[in-house]
Amino acid sequence: MVGLVIPVGLAILWEIAVRYGVVGGRLMPPPSRLAQTAWALARSGELLVHIEATMTRVLLGFALGATAGTLLGMLNGASPLANRLLDPSIQALRSVPSIAWVPLFILWLGIFETSKLALIALGVFFPVYLGIFTAIQSVDRKLIEVGRVFGLSSTGIALRITWPAVMPVWIASLRTGLGLGFMFVVAAELMGASEGLGYLLLDGQQMGRADSILVAMIIFALLGKASDSVLVALSRPVLRWQDTNRMRL
Amino acid sequence: MTRLTVRGIGKTYADGTEALRGVDVHAADGEIVAILGGSGCGKTTLLRLIAGLDETTTGAIDVDGVSLTGTNPAISAVFQEPRLLPWLTAEANIAFGGRRLATEERQARMESLLARVGLAGYGKRWPRELSGGQQQRIAIARALIGHPGVLLLDEPFSALDPFTRASLHDLLLDLWRELRPTVLMVTHDIEEAVVLADRIVVMRPHPGRVQETLPVDLPRPRNRLAPAFDLTKRNVLRAINRSLAEVPSGPGPTSGNGFSPWV
Ligand SMILES: Nc1ncnc2c1ncn2[C@@H]1O[C@H](COP(=O)(O)OP(=O)(O)OP(=O)(O)O)[C@@H](O)[C@H]1O
Ligand SMILES: [Mg+2]
Repeated sequence: MVGLVIPVGLAILWEIAVRYGVVGGRLMPPPSRLAQTAWALARSGELLVHIEATMTRVLLGFALGATAGTLLGMLNGASPLANRLLDPSIQALRSVPSIAWVPLFILWLGIFETSKLALIALGVFFPVYLGIFTAIQSVDRKLIEVGRVFGLSSTGIALRITWPAVMPVWIASLRTGLGLGFMFVVAAELMGASEGLGYLLLDGQQMGRADSILVAMIIFALLGKASDSVLVALSRPVLRWQDTNRMRL
Repeated sequence: MTRLTVRGIGKTYADGTEALRGVDVHAADGEIVAILGGSGCGKTTLLRLIAGLDETTTGAIDVDGVSLTGTNPAISAVFQEPRLLPWLTAEANIAFGGRRLATEERQARMESLLARVGLAGYGKRWPRELSGGQQQRIAIARALIGHPGVLLLDEPFSALDPFTRASLHDLLLDLWRELRPTVLMVTHDIEEAVVLADRIVVMRPHPGRVQETLPVDLPRPRNRLAPAFDLTKRNVLRAINRSLAEVPSGPGPTSGNGFSPWV
């Protein structure tokens, strides 16, 4: 709650300054103006279309990237052979900044949805892959020995020891991945899109409308926070055993 | 009926460390054997080999005449740390040790053991919500739920205070009387060995070998204050001193053996 003091205070000050003509307000519209713009966008149904477009991209790209990252991370964490075979290539690809893929993706996949999804999925992939891979390799040998003494097979150990032990790191890496998903959806939509919050940003810039840019930014922030909270809420039941603070909303 | 026989066991680690050489240990059915020895004389190595967590370099281990390879349902263990699975509740941790039992039997034994280790009502707690001593009780219950013929204990009480330790000695003896597993227990603590064991195996290091084996002919329950108890303790100390005296002043840490020769 204390954290709200500064932004709310600044917003009020800005509103007053614009009202009394102390400053203009075209490049930095006051809160009331933003509310009007948001309301107008919402009323026309336009806002919902943009939100839906952006969220669909993020969620699909996230699902793709997170699935691939999880599966490959598990494979390489579990099998030394697969690891020696695949990890060097993955690490090499990782040193290419993801945005650098954009031209190639457009060339290969066209300028429409597929290339956008590919970019987002790529951004999500690396933190998830790396997170689960490192976590599997650092599972406490002592707990694995408990599994062996009490008769677990290697599949049993993977399911009943390694997987739960890796869970917290996996979820943390999904959160990082989701954050990156939002980052890359903006990049993808700035590349050219006819709808989506990124489009709203670009459109606002071209039309000189700072208000719609700010509305899009605020909605990005809200969506990002909300998706992260959903992820945390979903993971809470399986992480109850942890005694860390990390997973607080 | 579970006899444990360790014959001519040797273990040399991949880095060339010879941890054990020609170790013979025998435990009759339902017997409690304590293994005493200074740090680094291969006690943990010996238990790990019996538990099937590591491979022997030479020698053989058998249970009731059947040679062991790898882990075995007849053998269960309590480690120096409780090693509870942090994502399972106390009762689920106990049940984990009884994976081979049918569901109803597992549930029933879990409940009775939870009560036997004095933690009825704590079953739904997470390991992090239990004290060290309580966690070790759960670990003991986990090790006993599956009717093991042989129970291995590696300094299970060394991290606990003397009060908790004494109460866990009583608990262990109670459970042993009831379930009669053959017990092989590593300890640093001479008194602990004399309180619990039927026989004490004294080891010496570089490489780890058996120095000698001493019977403990004291009736149970044992009185720590009785003169006979003291006498046995002295005998054990003498054996330990002999093992120290015969250690060649070879390489490696010589001062860190954990015992001072003062008898
Ligand atoms: N994994 C390993 N690789 C190489 N050497 C090892 C390994 N584990 C133990 N050793 C060595 O084997 C010897 C015996 O070790 P061990 O842990 O069995 O001793 P210990 O009697 O249990 O000692 P403590 O009382 O301190 O627990 C030591 O010299 C130790 O350094
Ligand atoms: Mg040890």
